[in-house]
Amino acid sequence: MELFLQLFITGILVGSIYALVALGWTLIYKCSGVLNLAMGELTLIGAYVCITFYHWGIPFVLALIFTLVVGFALGILTEILFLRPMVGEPVLSVIMVTVGLSFFFKGIVELFFGTDTVVFTPTVFPIEPVYIGKVVVGQVYLWAFVASIILLLAFVSFFKYTKWGLSMQATADDEMAALSLGVNAKVVYALAWAIAFMAAGVGGTLLGNINGLNISVGYLGLLVLPAVVLGGMNSVPGAIVGGLVIGVLQNLADGYLSPFTPGGVKDVFPFAVMVIVLLFKPYGLWGWIRIERV
Amino acid sequence: MALENPDTHGIILKLNNIEVMYHEVILVLKGVSIDVPHGGIVALLGANGAGKSTTLKAISGLLKHEDGEVTDGSIEFMGERIHHLSAEEIAKRGIFQIIEGRRVFEHLTVEENLRVGAHLGGNGSAIKERLEMVYHYFPRLVERRNVLAGFVSGGEQQMTVIGRALMAQPKLMLLDEPSMGLAPLLIKEIFDIITQLNKQERIPLLLVEQNVKLALTVAPYAYVLENGRLVMHDTSEKLKENPDIRDFYLGLSDIGERKSFRQVKHYKRRKRWLT
Repeated sequence: MELFLQLFITGILVGSIYALVALGWTLIYKCSGVLNLAMGELTLIGAYVCITFYHWGIPFVLALIFTLVVGFALGILTEILFLRPMVGEPVLSVIMVTVGLSFFFKGIVELFFGTDTVVFTPTVFPIEPVYIGKVVVGQVYLWAFVASIILLLAFVSFFKYTKWGLSMQATADDEMAALSLGVNAKVVYALAWAIAFMAAGVGGTLLGNINGLNISVGYLGLLVLPAVVLGGMNSVPGAIVGGLVIGVLQNLADGYLSPFTPGGVKDVFPFAVMVIVLLFKPYGLWGWIRIERV
Repeated sequence: MALENPDTHGIILKLNNIEVMYHEVILVLKGVSIDVPHGGIVALLGANGAGKSTTLKAISGLLKHEDGEVTDGSIEFMGERIHHLSAEEIAKRGIFQIIEGRRVFEHLTVEENLRVGAHLGGNGSAIKERLEMVYHYFPRLVERRNVLAGFVSGGEQQMTVIGRALMAQPKLMLLDEPSMGLAPLLIKEIFDIITQLNKQERIPLLLVEQNVKLALTVAPYAYVLENGRLVMHDTSEKLKENPDIRDFYLGLSDIGERKSFRQVKHYKRRKRWLT
């Protein structure tokens, strides 16, 4: 039971980071119908930007905020430079563009930061673990969780209560109708990329704090895919729950199944879950089936 | 085209012999001229595929998002040429189209739908005021305000869509088939509200409608489109008397009684309007 609790709580904490990245993924899909396969590289870039700021001696929280700002700018720039020329082209072509983008971004990161693992020095969070009952949790995990939750709340309230948030959802629902009300679809797409970049950047930074930072952090992007599918591609709450569930499942699989396998269960398990979910609930848990009234 | 629009006191929207082409090859409108007077209601009639919706989209600028463009003629709104502007710019000038088919934002609540309508400007208190105004005209929406718009009834969806455009404080509203797929009682309710809006808020309307009888009752002046061409326009009174309209659109015989379905011969028009 203790082992279970330990794995479960760690899973939730890591899952919150997945949720953050999944949110970015969902957002772009929701607004423009594009599966952004460069999501992992967005996390990579964000993480490296943050660590650069941090190593310049900027306090971590401030560095994180700067990362958000840079992410916002990069997101808008990416949309304008690479995605906007593709407006009106088939979705598959746009997805191929994101594949290209992922290699491009990876190349840029290797060019500027090399391939060696770097860690945040001095460590941002104290190393002493925290005890929650009998469960031991590293402070890094706890703070990563707090940061993710704050950011998730911020994004969700943005969608619920601000003018542009509502208009983004409206555009996702019915672009033509949104256009007829004077919503500028270009701004909506740019905002979607900006927010995705911001969320991914913070997700990457937090993960970098846990494991150290190298090119493999980019695989997080793909790892989050099961979370997105589980939640149902275009549901923001779905992405968040999906992220948490995948985090938990991954940790449970690691704890209980690893001893019986040559290793790697942790990475495979989320995808196995994804396949099963797709078999029984093709739209995910909260995905949009077009609302049909009979 | 012999008849001039008798409503001479100020034209808010003027379509000047416009031509619309899709995908740079398909000519959909071949010279359409329409005048909408300040505070007036004008109906646009015609069979399926006549180009009614295209005309509205040309005015609202949505055409550009369907790879169509105005290739000839001009559209003037309050004296300004607008046919080269983007949909957003046109909306900023106060023209709002209500697209055919009750296009609510299904996954937003009714009230959130209305709020999106106020996208262009309006601070918190102004939006609240306008919400009150919309709920005043559509009291049915009050109790449905927190329901997802995808789940409310068809009539309520149509009300949401009209209310949404109302939130934008339109200077001109383009209505595309507000009666489509609704029960007769609901159609009456919605058209009553539309006429009220026109009278009390002084919003000019350009109304596309398949229900010709209804359209001619609501609008004092109407244009008839066929195959992308304007074939006649007149006051509704005179159009109701016109034998072609009576025969072809209203299904009435010369003496005014309703024809039986067997007698209606769609292929046998008295004369071709265009030769």
